[in-house]
Amino acid sequence: MGKRLLWSLVLSSALSAIGAQAAEKTAIQVMHQGDPGFVAAYGKVAERFEAANPDVDVQFIYAPHDAYNEKFSAAVMAKQLPDVMELDAPFLANYVWSGYLQPIKPLIDKDLLDDMTESNIAQGTYPIDKDLYAIGLTDSSVVLYGNKKYLEAIGARIPKSVDDAWTREEFEGYLEKLSKLDGVKWPIDTFRGYGIKTEWITYAYGPILQSAGCDLIDRKAWKSEGTLDSDTCVDALAMMQKWVKNGWVVPQSAGTNQFFAQGNPAALALGGHWVYAEAAATMKDDIVVLPLPKFGAKGASPDGTWIWAITKTSAHPDISGKFISFLLKDKEFRTYVASQSGYPGLKSFAAESPLYAAGGPMAIAFEQASKTAVARPPHPAYPTITSAFMQAVDEVFNGGDPKEALTSAAKKIDQDIEDNDGYPPFGEEQ
Amino acid sequence: MSDIALSIAQARTTRPRSAATVLRIIQTICIFIIALVIVSPLLLLVVASLKDDRFQILADMGSFRAFWVSNPTLSNYAEVGHLSGELAFGRYLINSLIILVTTVCSGLIVNSMAAFVLAWGSFKGRAVILSIVIALYVIPQESIIMPLVIMVSRAGMSDTFAVQIVPWVASPLYIFLFYQFFAQLPKELLEAAEIDGASFFRAYRSIFLPLSLPALATVSILMGIETWNQYLWPILVTQTDYARPIAVAIATFFGQDSIYWDRAMAASVLMMIPILGLYLAFQRWFVSSFIGSAVKG
Repeated sequence: MGKRLLWSLVLSSALSAIGAQAAEKTAIQVMHQGDPGFVAAYGKVAERFEAANPDVDVQFIYAPHDAYNEKFSAAVMAKQLPDVMELDAPFLANYVWSGYLQPIKPLIDKDLLDDMTESNIAQGTYPIDKDLYAIGLTDSSVVLYGNKKYLEAIGARIPKSVDDAWTREEFEGYLEKLSKLDGVKWPIDTFRGYGIKTEWITYAYGPILQSAGCDLIDRKAWKSEGTLDSDTCVDALAMMQKWVKNGWVVPQSAGTNQFFAQGNPAALALGGHWVYAEAAATMKDDIVVLPLPKFGAKGASPDGTWIWAITKTSAHPDISGKFISFLLKDKEFRTYVASQSGYPGLKSFAAESPLYAAGGPMAIAFEQASKTAVARPPHPAYPTITSAFMQAVDEVFNGGDPKEALTSAAKKIDQDIEDNDGYPPFGEEQ
Repeated sequence: MSDIALSIAQARTTRPRSAATVLRIIQTICIFIIALVIVSPLLLLVVASLKDDRFQILADMGSFRAFWVSNPTLSNYAEVGHLSGELAFGRYLINSLIILVTTVCSGLIVNSMAAFVLAWGSFKGRAVILSIVIALYVIPQESIIMPLVIMVSRAGMSDTFAVQIVPWVASPLYIFLFYQFFAQLPKELLEAAEIDGASFFRAYRSIFLPLSLPALATVSILMGIETWNQYLWPILVTQTDYARPIAVAIATFFGQDSIYWDRAMAASVLMMIPILGLYLAFQRWFVSSFIGSAVKG
């Protein structure tokens, strides 16, 4: 009995000592998404950060990509917001307007702020106070990938720069020719396999509407009716519906890699910059990177990606800022991101990425950032805007009437804005 | 009987017999085809988990190659098993098992007790309470999920095993299933128990519960599947891998940019094994429960 008591005392004092040691550490919580590669990479960065800062404990909160917004809503309701959070850039305006984020400039290393590209600054800036609320190592873009073998077989012109992009007529003409070419099952993969639970439809297809000459919403009056349901937008969406109806587009059920799958059943791919690494590894010299076509008078391409912010409720904003700075500067993390064809959001990272430098295989993608990139509407109503637009596109791709679908989407968007009194001060700017 | 008459009689008896044989063969073929269709997704899942190229899995999907693997490998299982840190698969699997066993065991006790009281209890308002329980069944989980999140976080239950067990132990559906079963048993059983001096609880525990094996099996399987497949709720109420189940871990393979079909398939096969075990363990009573309810009408 006495022995047992002695052991209990020894054990409890040892546990208390460990507990006390753990209690001395300052914990910061970091909420993020990402595939297994990125999850592992974040974990390793945290280990290095903790080694450099022994008094800090980095705790990760992982939320699957398709349930990230639900997890964020639950965290808000439960008043359990993390210190640091990864967020999709177009949602930034909504989060700042709702009061969840704090300006990040005073908390991030100055050399990093000076290192940001224009589009990186744009994606992290709230348009009302022009303050920076988030920063990322990367940005993003979508290009048109082509199978050189197939394009040569139909005699297609290969653009050398963004200014040289295919016109709508050229693009549709090539789709038709490719549809008749041996070996081509589908002329184009538009990555419908990403579905409507991600941002893909608004992110990648929105610029097609913008290139055609319209938009999801009037960015001055912040009204969607008259813009999204305009004849130009209806015509652009009807054009895309025609591609689907003609069987030119890889169906959603076929997944997301038919451009570089065995046998190359798709000749073209309207894909994100991240597709390049996998496609090039499989296709070698058969891959050619083209700018997005001009569907009207001008070109348009998307930008914006997942970036890092610090919440207003963070008890340790200074340590949170220190962690973000450490993450963006971490050499091994940068090497990993570069290996995933990460699109540079920092000038120094661009210099380290020969893929995007002049003459690099993805140089056209980087050229788009300065010439044709159009951010998604930086408005607090964005969650409604994207949801309504994605539903409309999905409906149209499944045979719905483009005019009806876009009218309904525009009404939903305007109703949400009206329900929130114009999301002041956005409404007051009108 | 002459030889001719005999052969005619034989022909009369063999003709229907051969027709029955043909019918049986057709039936067997049909059953085989239907079984193949039902089993094919499962087969596809297992075969895909043995392929080492995630792009190949998708490329094969539209053809019979989806059901064939020329160079089977267990590398996907090894990769899933070796995920460390936040994606420690073994940890998630154990978490899921803890949640499954605790929820099902507690659910069997709580729901059966509630049902027994509603079926044989001697208090006023039983019918009203039963109506309320049935009415609760029609409320979709999604409509109460956010208020529930607030409740459990205020109760300090976030990121625990309890938060994934307690809200789902009592269920209107399972109370109703038990109620139906208990109500069909003869009242004489309860009266005999009372004459022998058994308490109401003793009658439940020693007589009615052992008789309700089919109901217990049915609820175990249904509740087990429901608990095992919980996805959104654990994401909303847990923060770390401390208590997160395997369904959340598998979602990691479905990233924004890439879907890791190879590992997702291997993880899905591993995820399927415990619930399949649960079904096989209770299958006999589960089937008899359905047959019983059909016969009793």
